[in-house]
Amino acid sequence: MNSSYINNMSLAFWAVSPVFLYNMVYSPNSPFLLYLILVPLVGALALFLIPSESIQLIKVVALNVSLFTYIASLFLWIGFDASSPNFQYLYQADWMPYGNLYFTLGIDGISLFFIILSTLLVPICIMLGWSSITIYIREYMVALLILDAMMIAVFSTLDLLLFYVCFEAVLIPMFVIIGVWGSRARRIRAAYQFFLYTFFGSVLMLLAILMMYFQAGTTDLQILLTTEFSTQRQILYFLAFFASFAAKVPMIPVHIWLPEAHVEAPTAGSVLLAGIMLKLGTYGFLRFSMPLFPEATLYFTPFIYTLSCIAVIYASLTTVRQVDLKKIIAYSSVAHMGVVMLGLFSLNAQGVEGSILLMLGHGLVSPGLFMCVGVLYDRYKTRLVKYYGGVVHTMPLFATIFLLFTMGNIGLPGTSNFVGEFLVLTGCYQTNTLIAALGATGMVLGGAYSLWLYNRVVYGFPKPHYINTYADINRREFFMFVPLIIGTLWMGIYPEVFLHDMHVSVANVIQHGSY
Amino acid sequence: MDYLSLFENDFLVLMPEIFLVYAACFLLMYGVLVSGAPEHAYVTNTGFLVILSLGLALLLLINGPVTDMLLMYNTLKVDYFTFYVQAWILIIGIGVVLMSFDYLKREKMHMYEYMVLVLLSCTSMLFMVASYDLIAMYLAVEFQSLAFYVIAASQRDSEFSTEAGLKYFFLGAFSSGILLFGSSLVYGYTGTTNLSDLATLYTGFESLNVASGGLYVGLMFVSVGFLFKLAAAPFHMWSPDVYQGSPTTVTAFFALTPKLAVLALLTKILYVGFYDIMGPWQKVVMVCSLASMVVGAIGALGQTNIKRLLAYSSIGHVGYMLMGLASGSVEGIQAMFVYMVIYVAMTFTTFCIVLSVRTADNKPVEYIHDLSHMSRSNPILAMTLALTMFSMAGVPPLAGFCSKFYLFFTALSSSLYPLAVVGVLSSVVSSFYYLRLIKTLYFDHTNTVHSYVSLDTEKAWLCALSFGVTMFLIMYPNPLFLASHKVALALCALIR
Repeated sequence: MNSSYINNMSLAFWAVSPVFLYNMVYSPNSPFLLYLILVPLVGALALFLIPSESIQLIKVVALNVSLFTYIASLFLWIGFDASSPNFQYLYQADWMPYGNLYFTLGIDGISLFFIILSTLLVPICIMLGWSSITIYIREYMVALLILDAMMIAVFSTLDLLLFYVCFEAVLIPMFVIIGVWGSRARRIRAAYQFFLYTFFGSVLMLLAILMMYFQAGTTDLQILLTTEFSTQRQILYFLAFFASFAAKVPMIPVHIWLPEAHVEAPTAGSVLLAGIMLKLGTYGFLRFSMPLFPEATLYFTPFIYTLSCIAVIYASLTTVRQVDLKKIIAYSSVAHMGVVMLGLFSLNAQGVEGSILLMLGHGLVSPGLFMCVGVLYDRYKTRLVKYYGGVVHTMPLFATIFLLFTMGNIGLPGTSNFVGEFLVLTGCYQTNTLIAALGATGMVLGGAYSLWLYNRVVYGFPKPHYINTYADINRREFFMFVPLIIGTLWMGIYPEVFLHDMHVSVANVIQHGSY
Repeated sequence: MDYLSLFENDFLVLMPEIFLVYAACFLLMYGVLVSGAPEHAYVTNTGFLVILSLGLALLLLINGPVTDMLLMYNTLKVDYFTFYVQAWILIIGIGVVLMSFDYLKREKMHMYEYMVLVLLSCTSMLFMVASYDLIAMYLAVEFQSLAFYVIAASQRDSEFSTEAGLKYFFLGAFSSGILLFGSSLVYGYTGTTNLSDLATLYTGFESLNVASGGLYVGLMFVSVGFLFKLAAAPFHMWSPDVYQGSPTTVTAFFALTPKLAVLALLTKILYVGFYDIMGPWQKVVMVCSLASMVVGAIGALGQTNIKRLLAYSSIGHVGYMLMGLASGSVEGIQAMFVYMVIYVAMTFTTFCIVLSVRTADNKPVEYIHDLSHMSRSNPILAMTLALTMFSMAGVPPLAGFCSKFYLFFTALSSSLYPLAVVGVLSSVVSSFYYLRLIKTLYFDHTNTVHSYVSLDTEKAWLCALSFGVTMFLIMYPNPLFLASHKVALALCALIR
């Protein structure tokens, strides 16, 4: 099949797509969220019908489907009512009705942006693999589309058991992505660590969910929110949920899998890991642990503060000493997620909103950085810092983009992370001055390692005895960076657009726990 | 009044079993008469006749005139429970015969007796499930074991197969002895072998405080005899050897039917006959469940032989099923049957794929690394196997998760916290070796070349059906859960 034919087909697809979109969004009582989950799944099924020799067609179909999902998910935002405290776009279907288990979907201001972030990152990941993935191309696209569907589902589900199902289901494609398309032999170890850490934590969460199901007779979040558990049980459940979410965040003693997985995964894997997977843990804390177990949350707040402070300082210091580009960004993610946890457990509106904004900002900046590393790795096949130098002389465009994301990582005013970190520290300061001060050192240390990294890679003299061919970023790579850059700056300059939709939902969470 | 009219209705109800016994006799003669032909055709021919007989027996079973009845001087009982389990046994029998055609031809096992033996063991298991009396139970178990010993050793020119048959025979005879001894102790202390009489005798037994040691010993022996047959740890030693040595289709048969039939019979005896002295047997089942889960998870870690790996995996699965039995509630039985059906589906898929792979010199695969080329030579099969392994590990949204979460739920609601915790932890450990299989399929790049036989039509259908259950059960689990619930209620005589 020649390329002009494929192009015509995608044009035709986009010409008729408004009809689908209109039906998804505006037909009365349309289960919009369900459609949004089904679109990538149907796309993944369609990929199996394409003969495996027409690689170009597979890529184009996957890209178009994921872009369609992204644009459809933007309509969630357009139709979102920021003043309503209720869950919106509610959809309920029978799953096991006699066991009182239903398939419930719905979003509020907290989950809205995570859905949009995931649907944004998936097309970028598909483009990342456009030329660098050479084996099992169809499987790569299928894995990404399934991940897309699962991530939409995990952020929109309002049923604990269903949440667990999607939370775990994400493991399967991610395990395959790390193991199959990873770069070195060590990738197998990384894939195992990723899988087993998460699986071990979440089976304990499963037990807690089943105990709650046994006690309350349902796993519907909206009903469970009206249930009061005794303090002892809350503490037990909180610990079980903590085991699962802490491994995913990752909190400091169980963060070992993250640098491994990041380093060994292909660029797309790192992007999704940093962009979405880590947020699953913090999202879980915010959505489930905090409203369901308020007393346990207060009980464990000092514990989590301690772990997060250690994460911020220790991970930042570890970052300084790393020699692998991807490891640097991975450890800096651990530090940033520590700040996010500080914000969440400050348990006031500024802190929580700040941490959501920081999650979103980190979901744009850190994928951007991983893509920068990917650009270098695709050209020179090494990630060790010492082989690079003077990149600015040969790749000026790349150096500019890399600078922007580095500044975003530091939290320079004008970028998304600044607003997030500022709000987090404001919120934290109100509850615990010492913790806020310790958390703020993370920003200083962040400046140290980010600037030093940028310094070593981009400035200085080129090292022609290591690297002697040069190419700046090409058009495909440039267009992958554009949405991330726009998002980073937008969130940094006018964050109210995002905060506006969160206020009511965050106030809901905080008031529900009467913190 | 003549004797025949006394059993007039009984014979009507027993139609499927009677039909199968006749079919076995007929097929034996058929095999003898046409076995002079040099080709393999007559084996296939007999096989299709066996499928036909099993299918007709299934039809007879479904259209049976009576749904709930005690037969033959109260030695057999049919109800929804027996109907459900018997139907599954017949379906599995058909599946195993379908799987065997290609394998027998390639292995040059030109023996029609294999097919007839599958038929005979299915017949015996129908009797086993229906038995309602310790003597009837023992006779049916022996009938089943006899067929199994022979079928394990059916590859006459392989010393592995002979060894497997011998081992199975010795340990099977040993466990049968234990079972018989236990039954006789129970009979000696109570004077009855009928399950409902035993249940009546034991009503309020524990509160009367007339505990008699001999009775407990008898009960222990009966349970241990069955746990031997189930290969639950610590009575599992024989199963890896037998699994490894038997021809692979026979291994599949061993992994599927006895688990279903023996566990159903054990459940029936414990729940109907001995429910009022639950204390002692619950502890035994709990310990065995714990031990099996742990042994199944840890024992498999070091295995390199596929069939031994699957043996340990099935020991682990038996441990999970026993968890449902140990819970002592209707939901526990329901969870156990849900687990069984899903286990059957996953095992069918796995064995279909293992059977379809052969090494370059046209031998059946033995080691895990023999599968390493599969993701390139047969990507669809490799993906099927990988997803089935994820399902066995209990990763949602696959069917294996459906079965496990309900089981853990019942264990928690019966306050069996140690079982639930050990269960989830050992499912993490066992996921390690399932992942190893996936790793071999996708991540290892070896240069050894293997020939891959494409699936024959029969196996392809079987594989597609069972894999469909594994993949899509979570979308609509209702029918399975409701049917299992009805089975559990029928067993506990809560519905008529």
